[in-house]
Amino acid sequence: MTEPAGETTALDQLRQKLGREWPAIARADRAAQAMRAQLRGALRNLDSVDTSIVVFGSLARNEWTSKSDLDWTLLIDGQADPEHLTATQRISDRLAALDIPKPGRGGVFGKMAFSHDIIHRIGGQDDTNQNTTQRILLLLESRAIDRDEAYDRVITQILHRYLLDDRGLIYGGGKYKVPRFLLNDIVRFWRTMTVDFVYKQREHAGEAWALRDAKLRLSRKLIFVSGLLLCFHCHLEMPAEIRRSLSENSIPVLVDHLKKDVQSTPLEIVAAALLSSRASGQTARNLLDAYDAFLAMLDDPQKRGRLKELRWEDLHADPTFREMLEISHQFQGALSKLFFEEDPDLFDLIKFYGVF
Amino acid sequence: MRPVGFSTGLLADGDFHRGVRLLRERSVPVIELSALRAPELARLIGLLDGLDLSAFSYISVHAPSDLEAGREGEAIARLQIVRGRGWPVIVHPDAIGDFRSWTVFGELLCIENMDKRKPTGRTASELAGVFDRLPDASLCFDIGHARQVDPTMNEAAVILRTFGGRLRQLHMSEVGAGSTHNPLTASAIAAFRRVSHLIPDEVPIILEALVSEGEIETEIARAQEALPAQQVRVAENEIW
Repeated sequence: MTEPAGETTALDQLRQKLGREWPAIARADRAAQAMRAQLRGALRNLDSVDTSIVVFGSLARNEWTSKSDLDWTLLIDGQADPEHLTATQRISDRLAALDIPKPGRGGVFGKMAFSHDIIHRIGGQDDTNQNTTQRILLLLESRAIDRDEAYDRVITQILHRYLLDDRGLIYGGGKYKVPRFLLNDIVRFWRTMTVDFVYKQREHAGEAWALRDAKLRLSRKLIFVSGLLLCFHCHLEMPAEIRRSLSENSIPVLVDHLKKDVQSTPLEIVAAALLSSRASGQTARNLLDAYDAFLAMLDDPQKRGRLKELRWEDLHADPTFREMLEISHQFQGALSKLFFEEDPDLFDLIKFYGVF
Repeated sequence: MRPVGFSTGLLADGDFHRGVRLLRERSVPVIELSALRAPELARLIGLLDGLDLSAFSYISVHAPSDLEAGREGEAIARLQIVRGRGWPVIVHPDAIGDFRSWTVFGELLCIENMDKRKPTGRTASELAGVFDRLPDASLCFDIGHARQVDPTMNEAAVILRTFGGRLRQLHMSEVGAGSTHNPLTASAIAAFRRVSHLIPDEVPIILEALVSEGEIETEIARAQEALPAQQVRVAENEIW
């Protein structure tokens, strides 16, 4: 993702169309932009033409709340250089000086990431959970803090690989032109997140379970949905003349088109789908109201703290947890309406690609 | 067959007489006289009348890449003789300080796309800013630079689709991680072939690699392999 140039967003259009405000979404957006501006100043000169400081998670999604973690990596696309480790340590030191919470415990963030592994190792034994996570999150929720040359190159190369190796997309005769290799990796990532959720529940003895549950039900599901839409857009928006004569020569234009979605935030991608599909106003309201309520909850120190501390045996009687459940059910209901009931094109695609 | 030749820069290390001789002996039809370092330009201009360039069907001159403020006007003045002969002048966009003063070259001014170390001129969007200020200028497409900036060649395709109408000549070499110009490898050839259909057959190719005398013909053959002659065709499936 790159910094937007101030044009009217899909969310803005929905606000106007529905006559509705989502204050927590707007607040989180402003907070994310302010935090990134602060980071640009603090981390100046630690990146280069071959390295980008990339943030992930809520900061990249424009959903920064008061207790958000900062997930980052130094993305390296160039010659090996011992100084890369020094730069990584300096980034860590400068962030610590700003009193910014460290990345989560998964071990994926807060260090160097190398383009070669991310681009070459798609599938197979060497495509570790960490490698897949870095690759898919680069596409779905990442942003370069300042210098973006390396970041942009890596994004282009990842997309290029997914398309170049997708024989069905380029040469297949099917009626849908969805990049299935990419789609399958996004689906795999989503399923991995849901499995790892249970793994962490056991590994961390239930610690912060309810907070992780809330994120899985909402923000993590949102990035999966945006990934689905990114792939479906390729088919839905592809001009007839390109569809008629797809070849390897078409890959650059397909990459460019996919990059437009990659440069957007998940919430923007979903908002654009709500605008362009036949989804009802009620569905759009329900979806965004729910997400707004979720962000408001995360930004409320008491509620977030409560979700973080809740013990398993207290869950179902707890009003904060019940509130979160209701929000997530409303979000899920709106997604079901969008994909399974109201828009026939999305319904066709989700039937064809969603499971088998 | 596409017209392929060499830059005298790395081939003859600034020795213009030797560079011209090496290419003339091999009936190479294309030459770029390289004055990449500022002092070379004065020397080149002084030598021009003494160089036998009659065998070449295409001649261009590479302007210095290290023009200091205050020396730009001097270089432009020296290059007037090149303009008078109708030869294209290759310029790095980051070497230009005073854009207005270069407009005198019109379409003979060839803007080269840059490698990833440079602050500008690397991508189609960055080149657009340069051509906005030099609307008549042509393009010297450095295919090796474009590959270094984006190994998938997507950016190369974007540059060629966007500025193909300005294309005057190519620079070709394998540009290493340290931005050195090297002989073509199989990887570079495979990458360059992906955009060959966007480059008209008649556009001269200038090789920039450091090769020995004995490797000149081999490198020219590699260039022909990288960009096989074919009709330019931007198909409907390349425009979204």
